[in-house]
Amino acid sequence: MSLLEIREVSRAFGGVVAVDRVSLAVEPGAFLGLIGPNGAGKTTLLRLTCGLERPDGGSIRFDGRDVTRLPPHRRAQRGLVLTHQVVRPFRDLTLTDNVLLGAAREFGRDPLRALATFAYRDRRAEAEALLARVGIADFAGRTAAEVPLGILKRMQIARALATGPRLLLLDEPLAGLNQTEARAIGDLLTRLHDEGLTLVLIEHNLAEVLRIARRLAVLDRGRLLAEGEPEAVMRDPAVRRAYLGEAA
Amino acid sequence: MDAYLTSLLTFVAINVTLALGLNLITGFCGQVSLGHAAFFGAGAYAAALVTTAGHPFALGLLAAMATAGVLGLVVGLASLRVREDFLAITTMGAGFLFLGFVRKQEWLGGEFGIPGIRPPFGPEGMAILAVASALLVWAAGIAVRRSWMGRIFLAIARDEEAASSLGIDTARFKLAAFLLGTVSAGLAGAVYAHVVQLIVPDAFGFIQSITILAMVVVGGIGSNLGAVAGAVLLTLLPEMFRFVDTYKLLVYGGLLILVMHLSPDGLVGIARRLLGAVRR
Amino acid sequence: MFYVELLIAGLVQGAMYAMMALGLTLIYGLLRILHIAHAAVFTLGGYVGVLAANSGLPLGAAAALGVLVAAAAGPLVYGTVYRPLLDKPPYVALIASIGLLIAMEDGFRLLFGPYGLSFAENPWFVTGPDLGGIFLNWVQIALGLSAVLAIAGLGLFAVGSRAGVAWRATVDDPEMAMSFGVSPERVRLLAFALASALAGLAGFLVGLLNNLIEPGMGNITSYKGLAIVVLGGLGNVPGTLWASLLLGVAESFGTIYLDKILDRDAIAFFILVAVLMWRPQGLARGR
Repeated sequence: MSLLEIREVSRAFGGVVAVDRVSLAVEPGAFLGLIGPNGAGKTTLLRLTCGLERPDGGSIRFDGRDVTRLPPHRRAQRGLVLTHQVVRPFRDLTLTDNVLLGAAREFGRDPLRALATFAYRDRRAEAEALLARVGIADFAGRTAAEVPLGILKRMQIARALATGPRLLLLDEPLAGLNQTEARAIGDLLTRLHDEGLTLVLIEHNLAEVLRIARRLAVLDRGRLLAEGEPEAVMRDPAVRRAYLGEAA
Repeated sequence: MDAYLTSLLTFVAINVTLALGLNLITGFCGQVSLGHAAFFGAGAYAAALVTTAGHPFALGLLAAMATAGVLGLVVGLASLRVREDFLAITTMGAGFLFLGFVRKQEWLGGEFGIPGIRPPFGPEGMAILAVASALLVWAAGIAVRRSWMGRIFLAIARDEEAASSLGIDTARFKLAAFLLGTVSAGLAGAVYAHVVQLIVPDAFGFIQSITILAMVVVGGIGSNLGAVAGAVLLTLLPEMFRFVDTYKLLVYGGLLILVMHLSPDGLVGIARRLLGAVRR
Repeated sequence: MFYVELLIAGLVQGAMYAMMALGLTLIYGLLRILHIAHAAVFTLGGYVGVLAANSGLPLGAAAALGVLVAAAAGPLVYGTVYRPLLDKPPYVALIASIGLLIAMEDGFRLLFGPYGLSFAENPWFVTGPDLGGIFLNWVQIALGLSAVLAIAGLGLFAVGSRAGVAWRATVDDPEMAMSFGVSPERVRLLAFALASALAGLAGFLVGLLNNLIEPGMGNITSYKGLAIVVLGGLGNVPGTLWASLLLGVAESFGTIYLDKILDRDAIAFFILVAVLMWRPQGLARGR
């Protein structure tokens, strides 16, 4: 059974169809790269998947259950977690505290329990371990305002990991990074995948996506153009047209 | 104690209670409310109705907190549908609605309000009660700050979308913030009604809401200590400078602009920067 | 006849709201600022007008002076109070705006006394044409007409002139507009000047209508103006116009039918809360 099943999902914004009857399945343990030219509807599809947008039609199933109508926090509770393209750190908190917020999931539906549980010190080790896992243990005590983007991107991944995701949706995790940093985060994602995490990412850095993703799906003008093994997809004439047409 | 000082202490404590309560909603949880005085008023009216009907003060206190809290939940539920600027205007609207309703109710005394509210204690007893209320809400504020609830409020305040992506049910927590903050306002209202012994609708208008918000913001939004400092300062300021009294509002207004320009994070922000400078 | 009079009185009131709310919504559209201090500009227009009229200027000239001073005050407010706060969280500008309103209101009180000023002569107030049994004074007619003219003028400006096109471009996409050589700063100053001119005119006319200019006269109008802006869908001009007229008429009838339950000034907020619960984006479709 697929972990994530998107069926005939559509979404229009004021007459402009951003996502047009897209169907897509993600198997457990997959590493799917979602690519396509600007305005192809990738981000909308991701936001539909995690619940930040509601589809006009179609359905989304996660882990065998229909989540189409569920708000984002309920999907995140089930392990369907998004990291945003623009890193949104809590700037005046240390990286550890930022990552700790990921553990808020446990209290995310129960204000009373949240109030009854003191938030300091109890999970620091866990958060620090996550920072180490993404390779930025040295920055644990720095505030988010003080560290460069590359570190923040890793922190954001650590924060998402703290929620205990079963499928991690990444919205352009490499955007704004130089080639070395992008490659390092690509390696990190590969490692997370090897450790058993299911990943879906949108990315403009085609070279890096081709290097790390195990499957590709191509969106163009809201439609799914092709899906499959990266080499096969990139040989697809329709894909080449969409991309080269864009580039020319 | 001097009667003047006693009364001053009482009003400082009532304002501290109000500011700490609003800080839970606006400071911690990031939900800007321009109608906090309505809950203060709801508490005052509820308590006054109960005690003028001859029931004990303790019952009035409970009624005040319950009424304000229920009203807070209703406004909170309404506020879930709107965000940021819409929210500010909705809460402002709720405040005016409260006032417009109360003014027309004969059973609430209309424009003339409710007179002859008999205090359960003497002036000193009321001062102690007011201070105790303030300390209680302060303790609650600290508990919230230190708990996961405070963390989650912070996450919602900074970025609601990101918070919900982390699995946080933002609606529930916003309602919790409204409930805690408005129950505190109800408590302050009950104490206030029995201190002044006559309540009129105009005491709970927009200016009062703004004044409470000003205390929170001038003190340093999102900080318990800041709310306390802001409330103390803005209550004492006109008293310390009696000559300023004619210009009270002018100074108030000017101060709000000035603080927003110099230090949007308020007195606490200034203190923090000073401390930082000393440490370095 | 009674209902027709109520309707007309409501439309006139709505026209006045429109003159306030239009400025508020323009400013919100450009800067995302809830400009509560717009009320003080409104009052300023009234005070300048009444002082000028009482010192012997004809009413028309007094009105023009009030409008000019208000139009100058708007950009000043923007430059001194708002500009330094644009990169701060939205509540910062809101609090500053409230501070400015409180301070200016108190300033008017200190300068001109708490009870306000009346026009020494107010001929427009007591005379008016007879429209088949319906009495309207000239001030009401002037209010309605100025609103229509001002709004039509603004519409023509926005659609027809270069500055108008630059303006709309800036509202839609400031960075894009900038890359086409539009200075967003100038557009903002212009917006504040126009919005404040409208508010000043409204303040003067309302002063004539009540024959009283008082320090807090703009407040409730400005609060309601914000309610209208929200009702109209924040930054949406046609929505704001509809909401203004709707509110004027609703209040006019509401005072008759709701008097026992709700204060006149609370009607606006009753409608606001009811509509927001039904449509959180306001009456008009969002931007």
